[in-house]
Amino acid sequence: MLAFGKYLDRTRKHSATKMVGNVQGIQAPDFELVSLDGRKVKLSDYRGKAVLLNFWATWCPPCKIEMPWFVDLQNRYAKDGLVVLGVAMDDSEPGKISEFAHEMGVNYPVLLGTDQVSDDYGDVQYLPTTFYIDREGRIVAKAAGLFDRKQVEDDVKKALSGRNSLASGSDQTAQVAPEKKKEAVR
Amino acid sequence: MKLPLSAVLAILLAGFAGGQNPGNQQPSVIMAPVGQVQLRAGASTNVEMAFRIGEGFHINSSKPHSDFLIPTQLKLSVPAQVTLADVKYPAGKDESFPFSPNEQLSVYTGDFSIDAVLKTPAQATLGVYPVKGELTYQACDKAACYPPKTLPVQFQVMIVKK
Repeated sequence: MLAFGKYLDRTRKHSATKMVGNVQGIQAPDFELVSLDGRKVKLSDYRGKAVLLNFWATWCPPCKIEMPWFVDLQNRYAKDGLVVLGVAMDDSEPGKISEFAHEMGVNYPVLLGTDQVSDDYGDVQYLPTTFYIDREGRIVAKAAGLFDRKQVEDDVKKALSGRNSLASGSDQTAQVAPEKKKEAVR
Repeated sequence: MKLPLSAVLAILLAGFAGGQNPGNQQPSVIMAPVGQVQLRAGASTNVEMAFRIGEGFHINSSKPHSDFLIPTQLKLSVPAQVTLADVKYPAGKDESFPFSPNEQLSVYTGDFSIDAVLKTPAQATLGVYPVKGELTYQACDKAACYPPKTLPVQFQVMIVKK
């Protein structure tokens, strides 16, 4: 896997330049990744569901803050069609990632990230980064960095409702909304 | 006149805008140049390497409080004439951050130095030798974290008579 390990020495390529900048309304790139339990998982397997696609790593303390929120959202909104997918961008062995996810009480699939999926999603280097994808596979919101729980839940609702983000969605980097960030950790 | 390391870093960093736009800018760690290190045959010497972390970022110390976190590590490759006797890291500073106010992380911020203790045997061949290596670090700002990076490190050691 060595998702981020390769970042150390190579020149980054940007195979999906359309994923740079405002990505709302763009079709989320499909992928096939291996889950911690060894299954091959495609994003397109979840067409018809709203997907919260969270890029994270075991070495990322802010990522830990969101995980209990995602667990709760998965519990509350699964019946409405929400699927949470975690993509671990670690160099760690799957066993270590699994141990971490278990400690965090993660109840959703964790997939092993690759450089390709990072590239496809606009060179994800700022963790956590989360994409909210509607039932038709369109990105309705993107959050780079840690935001407050209310923002996360609002974006989940947008994904579930299929509201096109061009009007109402968000595409933000965390420091743009420092007040919300503070609210998140109280 | 020998400038203090902080002054060297200040000169190097003139115009350095690290951390002004976290999230849009990669974290940076830079190193002050190490002049040629003189090492007497049969003796040891301490080599201080000074680093500066871009404003707004922190990196884990060499001993983070969790096994999941990536420690700052200096790896050096020394010539056969020289032994790397020790690498001395500064203690990390325990800090909590807005993303996790109840958790203390052991971090470095701003300027920090790592010392390498080099030794050479009395019968070492005199001469100038390169020392190369890298500093591995993993940085975060107040809202997110970046992949681990490495910074090349190199200097020369001149072995001289006792």
